[in-house]
Amino acid sequence: MKFQLKNTIAILALTFLFVSCSSDDDSSSVTEGTSGDVELYFDNGVNGDALILGNTYTNSNGESLTINRLNYIISNVVLIKEDGTEYTYPKEESYFVISAEGNLLTAHLENVPAGDYTQLKFGIGVDEQRYLQGETAQQSFWDLATEYSLTWTWSTGYRFINFEGTYTSSEVDGEKTFQVHQGSNTATDNYREVTLLLPTTARVREGEMPNIHLKTDANVILDGVNKIKLADNINEAQTATAIMGGENLITIAENTLNMFVVDHVHNGGHSSHQD
Amino acid sequence: MRTIILSLLLGCLLVSCSKEEEYTEVDKPLDFQVPSNFPPLAQDISYNMPTEKGFELGRKLFYDGRLSADNTISCSFCHEQGYAFTHHGHDFSHGIYDQVGTRNAPAVQNMAFQSEYFYDGASNSIEMLSIVPIHNPKEMDETLQGIAEKLMQDTEYVKLFGLAFEDKQVSSGNILKALGQFMTVMVSANSRYDKHVRNEPGGDFTSQEEQGIALFQQKCAVCHKTDLFTDSAFRNNGLPPNPNLNDLGREIVTGFATDRYKFKVPSLRNVELTAPYMHDGRFGSLQSVLNFYANGVADSETLDDELRHEDILGIPLTQEEKDALIAFLKTLTDEEYISNPLFYYQT
Repeated sequence: MKFQLKNTIAILALTFLFVSCSSDDDSSSVTEGTSGDVELYFDNGVNGDALILGNTYTNSNGESLTINRLNYIISNVVLIKEDGTEYTYPKEESYFVISAEGNLLTAHLENVPAGDYTQLKFGIGVDEQRYLQGETAQQSFWDLATEYSLTWTWSTGYRFINFEGTYTSSEVDGEKTFQVHQGSNTATDNYREVTLLLPTTARVREGEMPNIHLKTDANVILDGVNKIKLADNINEAQTATAIMGGENLITIAENTLNMFVVDHVHNGGHSSHQD
Repeated sequence: MRTIILSLLLGCLLVSCSKEEEYTEVDKPLDFQVPSNFPPLAQDISYNMPTEKGFELGRKLFYDGRLSADNTISCSFCHEQGYAFTHHGHDFSHGIYDQVGTRNAPAVQNMAFQSEYFYDGASNSIEMLSIVPIHNPKEMDETLQGIAEKLMQDTEYVKLFGLAFEDKQVSSGNILKALGQFMTVMVSANSRYDKHVRNEPGGDFTSQEEQGIALFQQKCAVCHKTDLFTDSAFRNNGLPPNPNLNDLGREIVTGFATDRYKFKVPSLRNVELTAPYMHDGRFGSLQSVLNFYANGVADSETLDDELRHEDILGIPLTQEEKDALIAFLKTLTDEEYISNPLFYYQT
């Protein structure tokens, strides 16, 4: 038979048709009863720049912060599927310390039911009363948190965020120390939860671990939807600013609702990555 | 209290009747009862129910100097049973290295019925509260991890932790839980007043004491509420601040200026034994306290509304009324509580 291009094209087209009819972007379907791991990676930054401890960043309050510490607690992780069904990570395992100075940047979740997840929810800090109820001695989270300066002892409780360094501004003379210790006290519950969309579905399979790469913006702590000037909160002796209680923490709690975003998801991983 | 001891004894009886070949100690729940004239529990103890071994462990810890950095200061140092677990005669306590603190040691009693602890509400959890004195550099100057490391070397402790907790760990969490269990069981509910309101033998009141109750209900019970004699609220009762300390009270914990100079209403149970009085121990006698309420209350922005009636500050009282109130307050002394062997140091 005479070579007819249009026949070849027709055959090729038909072939592509069959190929493209396979199930969408998933290479494997979910097997009931299996599970896998998930990694949450917290990429700490300041208003779009990488957070490098010891570096100086100027915010829209006109204050230049040299950040020496950013440690925080995330907890009560929930993974949510497209149809809304939720998987709540076991509470007693669901408290994590993220620390720039300690290079603790990941929360590793084990035995997550295999599935396709489209949203991630977690809490910033510790839901104290409920935490106490769920605490088992296997997990001495208090000790871990203390190691990273994430506990108070003069007023019992966890610091949800420990954000420290020095600052300069046109409103103060010279360089001053700042300490922001976000948390709850017995009068105010500053624990907040955020629900974040995953731009790509996280596929959990046996032997396949998605890495959910989050970006943290430390700038919003003081320079978010609400502005808090360190200079406005300087102590009487004019030596340092310490924000550890009162109205400021309620304000910061609102700011931190915008502190996290999921930047991207890597599927099919077997170990942690950093990129 | 009687019920608790009874249940404990019953428990022991059941153990010794076990059919096991070897005698193995097991942990048993303690039967915790709310006294009939008490308000409900303010702490959720269901997550840390007192058990025999947990209680024993908590008691052992309470009396152990190893909870402090130099192994000399135990809880019992400032909380002496004979004085309803306060520091007898001390306005401020001296802690580790002979340093002096800035607050009067409050009584440890009926803890599970309180929702806030310390004069400034530094904790609202019966488990967490031990963290505060343990870490205070003027009191015990230790850390939970430091204590755990010391106790892990002691076979007696390792055994007790193993019996009291499922995970058998000598850990920070278990130390706090054991102390929490001990404090939960420390109920003081058998004073002459209690017998009086529960119509039990030994509850007869003199007419002066009856007069005292009536005056108390009228003039004091609005803050010193219920048979716990506190509403656990933070109030500024008009004490002129000590300028050397300027103790801001509740504001220190919450950060709100509206909480300045407010301190927790203490329970008046066993008040006869817990002198000196107030958050800084400035009054040496109940007479002094009542003199203050009658004539010494100072006005300020946060002065409690209950102590301001039109232009009268405080609570006007005649000497006869003060005598009756003092007579009544003495009926709150619970001899059983302060001498109960269940709560003192056992070797």
